[in-house]
Amino acid sequence: MKQTPPERSGKTDREPDQESDSLYVKHKKVYPREVHGLFARLRTTGVILLLGLYYGLPWLRWDDRQAVLLDLPNRQFHIFGLTFWPQDFFYFAMLLILAGISLFFFTALAGRLWCGYACPQTVWTEVFLWIERKIEGTRSQQMKLDKADLSRNKVYKKTLKHTVWIVFSAFTGFTFVGYFTPMDVLWHSLISLEMGPWESFWIIFYSLATYGNAGWLREQVCIYMCPYARFQSAMFDNDTLIISYDEQRGEPRGSRNKSVNPKELGIGDCIDCNLCVQVCPTGIDIRDGLQYQCIGCAACIDVCNQVMDKMQYPKSLISYTTEHEIQGKKTKLLRPRIVIYAAILSLVFVALVVAIYNRVPVELDIIRDRNSLFREIKGGLVENIYNLRIANMSTEKQRYQIQASGIEGMQLINKTGDFEVSAGEVYNLNVQLQLDPVILKRPSSQVFFTLQSLTGEKISITEKARFIGPVIR
Amino acid sequence: MADHPRRRRSDIPTTQRIIAVLWPSFLTAGIATALFFTSFNPEEISLCMGADKPISNVGAYTIGFFLFWLLTSSTCALTCYFQRPCIQSEQSTKNP
Repeated sequence: MKQTPPERSGKTDREPDQESDSLYVKHKKVYPREVHGLFARLRTTGVILLLGLYYGLPWLRWDDRQAVLLDLPNRQFHIFGLTFWPQDFFYFAMLLILAGISLFFFTALAGRLWCGYACPQTVWTEVFLWIERKIEGTRSQQMKLDKADLSRNKVYKKTLKHTVWIVFSAFTGFTFVGYFTPMDVLWHSLISLEMGPWESFWIIFYSLATYGNAGWLREQVCIYMCPYARFQSAMFDNDTLIISYDEQRGEPRGSRNKSVNPKELGIGDCIDCNLCVQVCPTGIDIRDGLQYQCIGCAACIDVCNQVMDKMQYPKSLISYTTEHEIQGKKTKLLRPRIVIYAAILSLVFVALVVAIYNRVPVELDIIRDRNSLFREIKGGLVENIYNLRIANMSTEKQRYQIQASGIEGMQLINKTGDFEVSAGEVYNLNVQLQLDPVILKRPSSQVFFTLQSLTGEKISITEKARFIGPVIR
Repeated sequence: MADHPRRRRSDIPTTQRIIAVLWPSFLTAGIATALFFTSFNPEEISLCMGADKPISNVGAYTIGFFLFWLLTSSTCALTCYFQRPCIQSEQSTKNP
């Protein structure tokens, strides 16, 4: 005996669809209506800039290599003139901190700016929607096509749309892999059909991910998958710019003649055209208030302003505003939260730039021999053995020299002498420090090893170590 | 025959259920892969495991990632399973 579904006030995917048998609760497709306006133009500009950057960067060259290359197998990240090694993970951590703080900063300022204008999900979905619109037509045409029976026209349009989507996804996947495998090698292997199995696999994987996320899931990524969506409201305060419907001005809503003064009829400025609902990519009604699903794309603002213009009412029935403004209070821009975020942001950014600029492209690790505290050798001298690891993090072969200091009269025994290390190589060197125990003041003394490059640039680093020996009284 | 519903009406959509298992596991598998292969060299691992020819780096990362993803999605799936209420409400077991 089948249970009849209870009545539900419709929000997109909650209404049980009796026609579907595969899904218990079927998702209803959202058809965002095409929108034009200031914010739509801003978003399109963003899409062009960001996608231009994404598809263009892997093709740029620097010296004789790709400018931006995240060479995972060789564990080097090349970003134009800079090369980062695993030891440089600290900078990556700082970059993540920078990204996090700027997220808090911009969200506190103006809400979900990232979501509406810059997020890859939004950017790629916009392109996919544009392709869909070009092939299947306007919103009402798309809805009609989906409801229609299978026909030659429908099969043709759907096939064409998915083919274009898949080709674009493949191009996207190919570009993504091009950030990790040099593009010239990748491109050559593609046209000669000699691509390695793993590269092929990842291209297909990323292509499918693009196709699935931008073609099928769309707003469901924002609603179900995005962690930012869940906690973004915690970063809002009463002075954050949010998209809001002016309820006081708009209500009660109702259609009316253009020539009539709404105040005479006792109705608000909202003509209940529902265009704000139709353009919404997540399918909400902004007149119900700011909701979790709203990605801040401002399509509703654009379309409502157009309607207001046609009705010759003032604009901004739906607009970017703040809670304080809605309550009639003044909006404070430079509040403590903003100032503190901005200060931390500047500090971390400057620290990162300075740290990278002052980076010494060599690393010296000193491991004292653990087998014995010290050794007594011929002539009554005392010796400590050290294993030095030198990592050449520059892009050229270097010739290094090692020196020791810290105790007067101490001698460095280095049987290897000066040595060469190739770029990216880690070199092992065993040295000893010898001294007459008479001069020792303490059982454990601090010593220093200085590594200096003899090839051209002034690369030098000094690290601490300890010398252990018997104190003779 | 009593109609025993697999899910209650107030549950989350199917898409969200699938995402709840596959997406967090994807993220943690990515992190695990990065951390694991920073410490261990894939060539050494494949030779230790008795392969004649050492596996390529990208191949190792790929297999390692998907093994991690399998593991983490099992964890997520188990968590989702254990989140089901143990005690059924009266309404769902009553014959309508």
